[in-house]
Amino acid sequence: MASRKEGTGPATASSTSASGAAGKGKGKGGAGDSAVKQVQIDGLVVLKIIKHYQEEGQGTEVVQGVLLGLVVEDRLEITNCFPFPQHTEDDADFDEVQYQMEMMRSLRHVNIDHLHVGWYQSTYYGSFVTRALLDSQFSYQHAIEESVVLIYDPIKTAQGSLSLKAYRLTPKLMEVCKEKDFSPEALKKGSITFEHMFEEVPIVIKNSHLINVLMWELEKKSAVADKHELLSLASSNHLGKTLQLLMDRVDEMSQDIVKYNTYMRNTSKQQQQKHQYQQRRQQENMQRQSRGEPPLPEEDLSKLFKPPQPPARMDSLLIAGQINTYCQNIKEFTAQNLGKLFMAQALQEYNS
Amino acid sequence: MSRFFTTGSDSESESSLSGEELVTKPVGGNYGKQPLLLSEDEEDTKRVVRSAKDKRFEELTNLIRTIRNAMKIRDVTKCLEEFELLGKAYGKAKSIVDKEGVPRFYIRILADLEDYLNELWEDKEGKKKMNKNNAKALSTLRQKIRKYNRDFESHITNYKQNPEQSADEDAEKNEEDSEGSSDGDEDGVSAAAFLKKKSEAPSGESRKFLKKMEDEDEDSEDSEEDEEWDTGSTSSDSDSEEEEGKQTVLASRFLKKAPATEEDKKAAEKKREDKAKKKHDRKSKRLDEEEEDNEGGEWERVRGGVPLVKEKPKMFAKGTEITHAVVIKKLNEILQARGKKGTDRASQIELLQLLVQIASENNLGEGVAIKIKFNIIASLYDYNPNLATYMKPEMWQKCLDCINELMDILFANPNIFVGENILEESENLHNVDQPLRVRGCILTLVERMDEEFTKIMQNTDPHSQEYVEHLKDEAQVCAIIERVQHYLEEKGTTEEICRVYLRRILHTYYKFDYKAHQRQLTLPEGSSKSDQDQAENEGEDSALLMERLCKYIYAKDRTDRIRTCAILCHIYHHALHSRWYQARDLMLMSHLQDNIQHADPPVQILYNRTMVQLGICAFRQGLTKDAHNALLDIQSSGRAKELLGQGLLLRSLQERNQEQEKVERRRQVPFHLHINLELLECVYLVSAMLLEIPYMAAHESDARRRMISKQFHHQLRVGERQPLLGPPESMREHVVAASKAMKMGDWKTCHSFIINEKMNGKVWDLFPEADKVRTMLVRKIQEESLRTYLFTYSSVYDSISMETLSDMFELDLPTVHSIISKMIINEELMASLDQPTQTVVMHRTEPTAQQNLALQLAEKLGSLVENNERVFDHKQVSDSLLTTSAPVARPLNNL
Repeated sequence: MASRKEGTGPATASSTSASGAAGKGKGKGGAGDSAVKQVQIDGLVVLKIIKHYQEEGQGTEVVQGVLLGLVVEDRLEITNCFPFPQHTEDDADFDEVQYQMEMMRSLRHVNIDHLHVGWYQSTYYGSFVTRALLDSQFSYQHAIEESVVLIYDPIKTAQGSLSLKAYRLTPKLMEVCKEKDFSPEALKKGSITFEHMFEEVPIVIKNSHLINVLMWELEKKSAVADKHELLSLASSNHLGKTLQLLMDRVDEMSQDIVKYNTYMRNTSKQQQQKHQYQQRRQQENMQRQSRGEPPLPEEDLSKLFKPPQPPARMDSLLIAGQINTYCQNIKEFTAQNLGKLFMAQALQEYNS
Repeated sequence: MSRFFTTGSDSESESSLSGEELVTKPVGGNYGKQPLLLSEDEEDTKRVVRSAKDKRFEELTNLIRTIRNAMKIRDVTKCLEEFELLGKAYGKAKSIVDKEGVPRFYIRILADLEDYLNELWEDKEGKKKMNKNNAKALSTLRQKIRKYNRDFESHITNYKQNPEQSADEDAEKNEEDSEGSSDGDEDGVSAAAFLKKKSEAPSGESRKFLKKMEDEDEDSEDSEEDEEWDTGSTSSDSDSEEEEGKQTVLASRFLKKAPATEEDKKAAEKKREDKAKKKHDRKSKRLDEEEEDNEGGEWERVRGGVPLVKEKPKMFAKGTEITHAVVIKKLNEILQARGKKGTDRASQIELLQLLVQIASENNLGEGVAIKIKFNIIASLYDYNPNLATYMKPEMWQKCLDCINELMDILFANPNIFVGENILEESENLHNVDQPLRVRGCILTLVERMDEEFTKIMQNTDPHSQEYVEHLKDEAQVCAIIERVQHYLEEKGTTEEICRVYLRRILHTYYKFDYKAHQRQLTLPEGSSKSDQDQAENEGEDSALLMERLCKYIYAKDRTDRIRTCAILCHIYHHALHSRWYQARDLMLMSHLQDNIQHADPPVQILYNRTMVQLGICAFRQGLTKDAHNALLDIQSSGRAKELLGQGLLLRSLQERNQEQEKVERRRQVPFHLHINLELLECVYLVSAMLLEIPYMAAHESDARRRMISKQFHHQLRVGERQPLLGPPESMREHVVAASKAMKMGDWKTCHSFIINEKMNGKVWDLFPEADKVRTMLVRKIQEESLRTYLFTYSSVYDSISMETLSDMFELDLPTVHSIISKMIINEELMASLDQPTQTVVMHRTEPTAQQNLALQLAEKLGSLVENNERVFDHKQVSDSLLTTSAPVARPLNNL
């Protein structure tokens, strides 16, 4: 998935940036503050995303697609979208860029907004904070400053409340990604923490007035809104799954830390060796001086003691971010469930 | 000449091949013939003078011959060498030459050689093709011969002018010579024959002559090469015969010979022997002293051309007197050829057999017979020089017969002592007054025979009728071993007895004793059978036999290896007959498990076989855990086939070279000793299932649970990966399907998967007591299913009646009670028994799935925090280090 994103991102971006000069001109251009303060999604887009997942996504598999829209002041309006076709092994030569171009051209013919403003992706139990996502979002944001990624969580949606979130990379993270330097020092300098990797952009779902009218009408006609998923008391499965995933991440985190630990130990060991070597050299030089001989030539210490490769810290950051997301999820979920349980208890007491 | 040589590489290579043979063979043959000539012409008064001349000339002719051969194959280097030798030989013969004049053949070769060299020299193209050595040799030789020939100029010109005449002269002279010797045209005339051939050459032009010679050679070799060289009768006389045939153009003789060679070897031998007989008839009329001389001659001949040896026994067949000494001497002579290159082993065996016949005809006594028999068997073993190849069936039969005869003699004559340690000198073969003493070890022969038998079995396709035929010999082998055992029990040392006992054990341990088994079954009913009856059967009961033999070895053996083998076989035998406790105790007491890895591979294979048999035995007894433990090592490696010596793995074929593979092949266990690998795997998997499924159910949510059997899990995973699950086909699939059923506590399905027609045919019917095993298995499945059920579903129940359980699993109440009690005691099941109502009351103290997860998470987080802290510690340490090192670093910069 990652490679696909990385491959296509810049290409599509460059193609659209030319045609979308008008939209871009309105953007603030400079890094500083975030370019987008709000995301306004058309109802059509939401339904299309949900439909896409239901048709093609299943289990841990994710579906992805392109978002189209406009930038209006500091508001990003997403007015349409189309999915990426699902890949199989045998059509590896399928040209994605070509497909996207074709698609956008076709949409333009029917007078639909054809400006590339981001992409969407489904997720499995909220596990979306990955390297692949980071990379592709980076390339998007690099090319089109306003682009966002919409994360659609079908499982939460199935539980009764639509879960759709828009994320952007923070300017700090953008800087770091541009440098492509994920060493501990660089991250420290960029003062990146897992909390400051992604920023969530508030979403507003907006429908046209005609649709709103239709909705009103429909609501009146249907007797009871089918909302009982929301009240489902069965919680163990979801919680268990999330816990399991959380545990996996914690394991990874542990490993990463161990790795980092080894690195630290190695560096300090080498530091000591270097130090000893210098001292020895110094003593020898002193002796030579006393004997009237010229001092030994200075040697390149960095060649003698190659510092160990520092492990990339980006992964651990991502893992931390993912853990954070899981924890948020669990917190949210358990809070809701507790509420439900109390309600159920009250209900039972009332009945009996 | 050049035309011939450029005709084609094919004929060239061929001629070079035959040329090589010609170069080597005749030389040896002629050297051997030399003294014979002497002895035959001894009546001649001029003997000394003549022989001196002959000797020198012989030498020269030999050299000349070699040169001619070298010329034929264009080996100039060889020519040069031989030419130098020739010069020296001529120098030696100078005195004779002075007397007799320069021999014609000498002149001829000089002339021919010069012509030949000139020709080569002019042939630019051929010269280019020559290799460096040859080219160099050519130029040196050319110069040398020019210089040398200056001395003989007159002779050579003379010869060139009138080559035929001089050749004729020579031939005549030689013919006279050959007539002088009785029938020497076969033996002593190579020189004459050679020269005669030349006289036949129609023109004196050497070039043409050579060509003709080539052609003739070609022809004769083409037709004869295959038969003649390959039959191993490349004797010197056949050589000369050949040439004779050529030169006299006696086609009839040639033809007569051809069919003979086409017939099989024996016929040829016979013919030759007949010829030899005639010769020896004549000879035997001569005086005793002559015989002595003759023998000297014979000895020489043996050295030269070995096949001549075969003419010898006949020499005595009609001899005036055949004594022990003579026969022994003959025997030794034959044996001397043994192991030498070019010795025809088949004929050797035949010779020895003839000798034994002669000995018996002449009543030389058993001592000699035994002595020769020993040697026959030894040479039978020697017949195949290669360790990997095995005896031919007829040889094998011969060998068995021979050993049997030998045993007959030994049993019939208790006063014969046979032993390895008896020295040749102290042998007593004929003095009847004293006990006969013969050197030789019957035990070694029998051991070797047993090995040969194994080899035959290894090399026969186990699925063929042939294998069955060979297997029938096993009884014979056993009988022989038994006889040797009886013999050695009387006469042998303890060490020998141990060895023969081990052989006996090795032929007994793997056989299931059906008779004893039957007897055991009938014993409870007919317990009134008298002890006498028991004693009668004792001889047949292999258990008692094993017991007796092994105990003897345990007590008396001093070599570790025999004892180890005996113990392993004993355990195997116990296990095979379901005497689990004896087998196990013996295994544990012997402490073999600790140091078996130091043993040699065959013993290790035996150990593996024993462990497997032990595991299968435990399984039959219903001891799944023991069975699993015993089989774990063998099965977990996935190389059971290799470890049991029942076949080579294809996978590791690249890793070993040819040599290793041969060694490994030799280690293979013959097919009739094999342990069924499918049975083995099934037993292992089923016992793993019975252990693992309840364990898995009990530790469902335990993060630290370990697999009991990796292989079983592997099979389960393979089963899960299947996209479509049809009804099970293979044994493994059956077990996997059964495991799945058991996981749900569904013992009936599990039972139907494990025990059904297919599995019966594949596995269970292979056991001697199949029904017993099956009932055991059903019960085991019921019990373990019950346990699994309780583990899996206890969280669902508040309480459960034992009666229900006993109905569900068709177990009687006490059994259910005992199983549940055991589980409660082992703290596997958090419950208590309510006696009055016969129910199990669950305590529900087990954490739920979520709780379990939370616990695990807490644990993991704990370790995470720990790791994190370590990083932090490190940071602090390194920081402090940096600060302390800073002041040290500063003055350095100043320097």
